[in-house]
Parts: sequence; structure tokens; C-alpha cells
Amino acid sequence: MKLKNLAVAGTIAIAATVALAACSSASPTSTASPAAPLSGTITSGGSSAQANAQTAWAAAFQAQNSGVTINYDKSQGSGGGVTNFLSGTYDFAGTDAALTSDQQTQSQTLCGAGGALDLPVYLSGVAIIFNVPGVTKLNLDSASIAKIFNKKITMWNDPALVALNPGVTLPSAKVTPVVRSDGSGTTNNFTTYLSQVQKANWPYPASSAWPVTGESAQQGGSGVVSTVAAGKDTIGYADQSSIAKATAADIQLGTTSTYVTYSAAGATAAFTEAASANPSTKGDLTQALDYTKISGTNSYPIPLLSYDVVCTTFKTAAQAKLTKAYVGFIDSTIGQAVAAKNAGSAPLPASILADVKSSLASVK
Amino acid sequence: MVILAGVAIFLIVQAAPAIAANWQTNASLTTGPTANQASFWTYVAPLIWGTVFVSAIALVMGAPVAIGIALFISHYAPRRIAGVLGYLIDLLAAVPSIVFGLWGIFVIRPFLLPLTVWLNHNLGWIPIFGGQASATGSTLFAGAVVLAVMMLPIITSISREIFLQTPRLHEEAAFALGATKWEMIRLAVFPYARSGIVSALLLGLGRALGETMAIALIVSPSLKFWVQLLTDGQNSQTVAANIALNFPIADTLQRQALIGTGLMLFVILIAVNLIARTIVARTGPGARNKRAQRKARQLPPTDPGVIATADAAAGPVGATTVATAEGVE
Repeated sequence: MKLKNLAVAGTIAIAATVALAACSSASPTSTASPAAPLSGTITSGGSSAQANAQTAWAAAFQAQNSGVTINYDKSQGSGGGVTNFLSGTYDFAGTDAALTSDQQTQSQTLCGAGGALDLPVYLSGVAIIFNVPGVTKLNLDSASIAKIFNKKITMWNDPALVALNPGVTLPSAKVTPVVRSDGSGTTNNFTTYLSQVQKANWPYPASSAWPVTGESAQQGGSGVVSTVAAGKDTIGYADQSSIAKATAADIQLGTTSTYVTYSAAGATAAFTEAASANPSTKGDLTQALDYTKISGTNSYPIPLLSYDVVCTTFKTAAQAKLTKAYVGFIDSTIGQAVAAKNAGSAPLPASILADVKSSLASVK
Repeated sequence: MVILAGVAIFLIVQAAPAIAANWQTNASLTTGPTANQASFWTYVAPLIWGTVFVSAIALVMGAPVAIGIALFISHYAPRRIAGVLGYLIDLLAAVPSIVFGLWGIFVIRPFLLPLTVWLNHNLGWIPIFGGQASATGSTLFAGAVVLAVMMLPIITSISREIFLQTPRLHEEAAFALGATKWEMIRLAVFPYARSGIVSALLLGLGRALGETMAIALIVSPSLKFWVQLLTDGQNSQTVAANIALNFPIADTLQRQALIGTGLMLFVILIAVNLIARTIVARTGPGARNKRAQRKARQLPPTDPGVIATADAAAGPVGATTVATAEGVE
């Protein structure tokens, strides 16, 4: 604690010196502000998927800039985050789905003609977790995942599942799929994956609300994880970073015979293969994920991406500077490493980080 | 009253665009939580059914227990135990509903699972116990049990107070006629407390109708008219839990739709309260008093025979009798 205080005092002292030097060297007519340490409050909120990562980022950022307070309200969810952002209460919103074209148009009244920018900040994967007594390892392909969650495969010893899992004794028991009862970005990602990869077995469009009825629906990712763990013969989906000790299935890569266990590197590799820029405005970094393109031997087939949304023009320059500094920190190599260590996310590829940096440079 | 009107106006103004919108073509309403609905009314109807159904089941389970406890505290238990027990029951009212929800998930759900399977297996021919029994325990049954526990302190404490107010003279009179204790309760306590019990039940029902977190956490819902209590993912959702679950993800118009469902719940709750008041006003001891007094006042006071009749009409709970009873105490 003492050391930290000393370090802070040191930083301030150095900054003050620099500031003084800047003042003395600047010409008297210059109005440029001195390089003072950052201070102020960032108000934000939205996606609960990136909440743990936001906590870690805020802590790390505040350790460097003690005058900054960062509030991230995860209770709002992605939809609430965007709504509050568009009404002007948030400096940035965390959301699992990029702004729709309607929302992009709306944002122009708040952010000027440039609109708002979706910046990728958080990468993880959707894990398929299960709890079947005696089964510790399970291979699934996309067709069986779609059929299980669409109630077409109802028994654990279904021939399709037995064929995928040689050497594993699957019990003759009913499958209980566990899904989300609340609207969620994880659901949106997962249904996008199913609707792209398994059109024949998954007749529903991508949606943040779970489309199939008659399955055990639970509140929140933690609700799904605890119900799968407490139940018997259950299977569910959740953000990789929230599954704790639950057992996750290995997912088949495309139509190959390779089954991939989730790894952070695998999610990053999958993202690199699947993502293509789909900007809604200049500098916007919305990524369209094409899950059918994921093919690397190590790539995890269901990556999950979350964005932070910022204005291209802030109301005040000071707030712009502060928010830019924070989002810039999130999308730095260090920021991504902090989230990977504390929230279990996967680091975004360097090319995306470079894109974010150049997009942020245009924010004022 | 002003606040109530304010709330009503807020709800109506907020909900109007969603209620008026075309639910089949609107870009916002055809996606997410409000997808696949013909209109606002097809969206809200199963929610209202779910709300009323789960509350009614909870009331059926909770009311006899609550009234039994109240009776035990007021008429059976020794004074010291009664005080402690009453205090403990009142404390239940202080437990936040989120705690009840978590308790439901981690304790009640696994606890009820064997009973769920047994009921489904042996009494499955009764529609409400039929269907595919849940393997996780997230049933409407579990939700209703937790709601019943949450209603308990409200119903118990109000009925207990009413039972304690039974005039001692009535009780003594019943005993004097040779009644046993249970007969005395049926003859003297229940008739006196009837309106009080009804209003206690309706207040408990109000608590259950508006309950959010416990239901949102425990019950695995869908938007359906459904009567089978033991199924998973088929249970009719309640209005309040539906709002809590979908509000974060909803966009502006979807939020207005959710507020619209809240408006319907508001209407139901007001209706329940009005019914409660009407029943109390109709059958309450006070009402009968007033009516009798009015009658007495209308009659010429000089006729002693008529006054006697009026007193008889005022019945066992006439104002004078109560006053005497209080005097005795």
C-alpha cells in the first residue's frame, strides 16, 4: 500500500514536473493544456459477458490513473447499455451485438454526423457444458448440437451421439437441455452459429431470446451453469469464462474428424478466420462472423465477440480524451492480457487492435 | 391517490406505442422477446394467465397453513411460545425476495424433485400433474411453493390479529353452550374473522401476483397457456418475471411492450384490491354494524320492541357487546 502510494506520488510529481516544464517552455500565447494526469469519471454499462473483464480493466487502468473513476453497470445488459448510450447517459456502451442501422442513424443526433463506432473489445467462446454421470469427455458435431437443442435428439444413447463418441458409454437417459430464460448476447451468438452452420436442423433465425420452448430455461449464464451442474443428464450453453468447473464438450471442426477443446488461442484463431469487417460508418469495426469459415486445426468453432460503442464526437474534449484513453487501454496488448488473466477471455488479434487504435485516433 | 394516478398515467403513456403498434410487421417487435406474436393482447394474455395461475396455486397451498398457524398462535399455543412464534413468522416478511429465489434454486428445487417425480408417476392422470416431469426441478410447482412461503407472514399476521380480537364474551358464550374448543372456534372466531381472513388472503395474493425475482430465478418459463405444474420450460411465465428477464435486452419499443404488460398487472392488482375492499365492506363486522345502526336510526326510537330487533340484527358483534368485551379485558 505504502509502495503504491509512493508510486502514485512519484507519478504525480513527475507529471507535475513535466507540466511545469511544458508551461515554462511554451510560448506565452499558447493555449495548449499541460500534460496533466487523467482524471474524471467514465459512466458506462451494458453487456454482462464483458463485465468481469471490465472490472479487471477498470482496476488496472485506475492503478495507473488514480484520478479516474470507471463505472460499468452490467445489470443493464446489451440492449439497456445501447439504449442508455443513445440517450446520452453513457460515455460508452458494452454490447454483444453491433448497432443496428436504425441505432446507427439514431446515434448521429448524439454523436454528430460521424455516428458511433463499434469497437471489438472482448473475445471468448460459447461452451457446451454437460453433466452426465460417468461421462467425462464428450464429442459433439454441429448437427448433434442443433438437434439436441431443437429437441430432435432426446436420448443420450441416440445413435448419432454414440457414433461420435466411440469408447464412451452413454446412458439410456433423457437429455435435458438447459437454456437462457432472459435475453442474452450469448444466446444471440449461439443461435447465430446454429443458424449459419446447421440450416437444416435449426430452422430459427439468430435471436437474443431463446426460440425453442419446452426446455429448462434459467436466468443468467450462472443460472444455466448451476442448473447443469446440479441436474442429471443435462446439457447447456454458456460463455466460456463463466462455466467454472463444469465439463465442456469438444466441438467438431466443420465436417472433419477433429474435435476441438476450447482454448484462448483457439478462440483467437477462429475469430481471425471467421471475422470480416462490416463497417456501418467510417471507422466502425463491426465484424461479421462467418462460422462456416472456421477451419484451423486448433480453432474453436463457436467464438463469442463483444463490442464497446463510443461516439465519434463527444460532448466535451476532456471526456473524449478520458474515454479514448480507457478504451485504448482495453484494446492494447496489455489490456487484452489483463482480461485474459482475470476474466478468462481470449486476446483479440493484433490486426484488430491496430484497427481500433486508428479508429480511436479519429474520435474527438 | 395522486401517486397512483401518476403511475397509471406513466404506464399508459409508455405502453401506448407498443399496444398500438402492428406486432406482425414492426421490425423491432418481430425480433427478440416479443417475436412471433399477433398483437399485444396475444403476448400479454399467457403472461396474465401464468401470473394468476401460479398465485392461485400458491394461495391454495399457503392459505390453510397460514391460517392454521395464526389460529395456533392466537388460541392454542401457550402465551410465551405464541409470542416467539409470531415474531419468527413476522421475520419471514423481512427476507428479501432474491434470497427466497436463491433458496428456491438451491434448496427447494432439489428437495421437491422426488415429490415431483412421484406426483407425476402416480397422479399423472390429473391434468395439473401430467406431462413430462422436469429433471431439473425448475417447475411452476417449486415456484408456487416458494410463493406460498412468501405469502405466509402476511396472511398469518393479519389473521392472527383478527383472531385475537374475537370478543371474549362470544368465546365464553360458545363454551357455556357446551362447545369444544374447535367448535368454539368455528362458532365464534371464524364468523367474526371472516372478512379479516378474506382481506388477508387477498393481500397475500397481491404479494404473489407482483412477485418478480423468486419466480424469475426458479421457474423455467415459456409464453403459453399451460396448466401442468411439473413440466420444465412449458410453464406459463408471469408478468413481473417476464419484465425482469427481458428488460435488459429489450430495445425501446420492446421495453414499451414490457411496460404495457406491467400496465395489465397494475390493472389486475387494483381489481384484486377493489374486490378485497368490497368483500370487507359487505361482510365485515363494521359494515353490519353500520347497516344495523342506520336501520335503528331510521326507526322511531320510542318503540322498545323495534330497538330490541335492531339490536338483534346488529348481531353478535353489536357495538355495545364489543365495548363490554373490551371493558372486561
